Amino acid sequence: MSDPALLSLAEARSVPPRELLQACRARIEQWQPRINAFIELHENPSGGRVPLAHKDMFYRAGRVSSCGSKIRRDWVAHETSAALERLDAAGFADLGRLNMSEFAYGPTGHNEHFGDCRNPWNPDYITGGSSSGSGAAVAARLVFGALGSDTGGSVRLPAAACGITGLKTTWGRVPLRGAMPLSPSLDTIGPLARSAEDCAILLQAIAGDDGSQEKRELRIAMSSAWIERSAEPEVAAAVLAAAKTLDTTPVEVEPPDFDTLSAHCLVVMQAEASAQHAQWMRERPADYSSAVRARLEAGYAIPAASYLEVLRLRRAALERFCAQTLGGADLYLLPGIAMRVPTRAQTGPAGGADMPRMLGDLTRLTRWVNYLGVPALVVPCGVDSRGLPLSLQLVGRPFSEALLLAAGRAYQRATDWHRRVPA
Amino acid sequence: MTAKPMTAKQWSAEAVETLLAAQGIALAPGRAERLARAYQAMLEASAADPLLARLEFEATPTGFLLAMQKCR
Repeated sequence: MSDPALLSLAEARSVPPRELLQACRARIEQWQPRINAFIELHENPSGGRVPLAHKDMFYRAGRVSSCGSKIRRDWVAHETSAALERLDAAGFADLGRLNMSEFAYGPTGHNEHFGDCRNPWNPDYITGGSSSGSGAAVAARLVFGALGSDTGGSVRLPAAACGITGLKTTWGRVPLRGAMPLSPSLDTIGPLARSAEDCAILLQAIAGDDGSQEKRELRIAMSSAWIERSAEPEVAAAVLAAAKTLDTTPVEVEPPDFDTLSAHCLVVMQAEASAQHAQWMRERPADYSSAVRARLEAGYAIPAASYLEVLRLRRAALERFCAQTLGGADLYLLPGIAMRVPTRAQTGPAGGADMPRMLGDLTRLTRWVNYLGVPALVVPCGVDSRGLPLSLQLVGRPFSEALLLAAGRAYQRATDWHRRVPA
Repeated sequence: MTAKPMTAKQWSAEAVETLLAAQGIALAPGRAERLARAYQAMLEASAADPLLARLEFEATPTGFLLAMQKCR
């Protein structure tokens, strides 16, 4: 392969850093005008071998961290996030600050302050959010991996829409210090990369080795009839085909109550995000985009008792998922997104009457995972008739990241969807 | 005397406006009615969980941390 920027992260570690940097910069020059993945490219990237870049909400002392917002456009961080410190220590270079949804509070990748991030497979389509730049930059091979945050799907949606691999970690697995808070009971940090193997390398750096062993035979649970009934036909066909590749005899189970769990997640997310932003919402509400302001307004009338009741219920919901949905299985398999990737116009400010339903559908299969606090992996599993990626999601028990990544590696050894590169 | 269970009332635009104003939050124009509908839907959907009816009196939010370790 002539372009070192197209290597896997594992392979890139044996290439001289200068060559990698030049190759990534050449691709950034070519792709940035088309996809707007970077907010800022550092002139002097931090030392290290393999180039990464991160969602602009991981603080680095002395540098601006805009959080994708007008309010923090010029805000300089006083500390470096724990996740960045660990990547620095592991020898990765940080090329710059990546685009994101404003304050990580949007599932599409629209951003009126820094410009929308656009899907490398077709710029008319959304990247998914909120880690939009992370998804687009990794998919276009501008960097070898990126950090994202996931509060309701913000790692998995960009991974799904951009055709890369994304890991939503167990709540508490990766320290949140120095990362912008959105909803502390749900916030998680995770890697987006070109494969499960590359995600494992990044997870090792930011979370350490959990000592888990790969199991010889994975047991998969899924709800085939629900997928056929509820996902768009092209999505259902790709996911059911992927299940056969991964495991020929999955256990059929009743699906979790996605919509109720999502509603619980929304109560927690809206109450916490609105509390987090209360001061700015009092003092400068006009500095938010109308979409984010509307989402924030929605949290201020949630009764405190309802919020606490939902948090009290979380234990029972997790125990039910592990005992009844997973049962004797290791992982639960479902689509990353039940619909095909929508366009930016359909889901943007002028999206029309159908937009709220469409945004709800987009996050329908991701938010419930955050409420349960469990880890989940998204991998590409096909392309639709328009050439946009389709994705598979695997959800595990708490702290089962190693198992999820092993399943992802097994799937990617048998398929080559993760090797496709946008032209 | 037997207490009569309350019937859920619909959120109103006025109630939402008052509640937010009390917290110093000014609503964007035309938002109160939409918010009232959204609250109603969200809280009804959340309250529909049959697990709520069996939630133990002793259950606290911190129980979730214990469950995460137990469910590993």
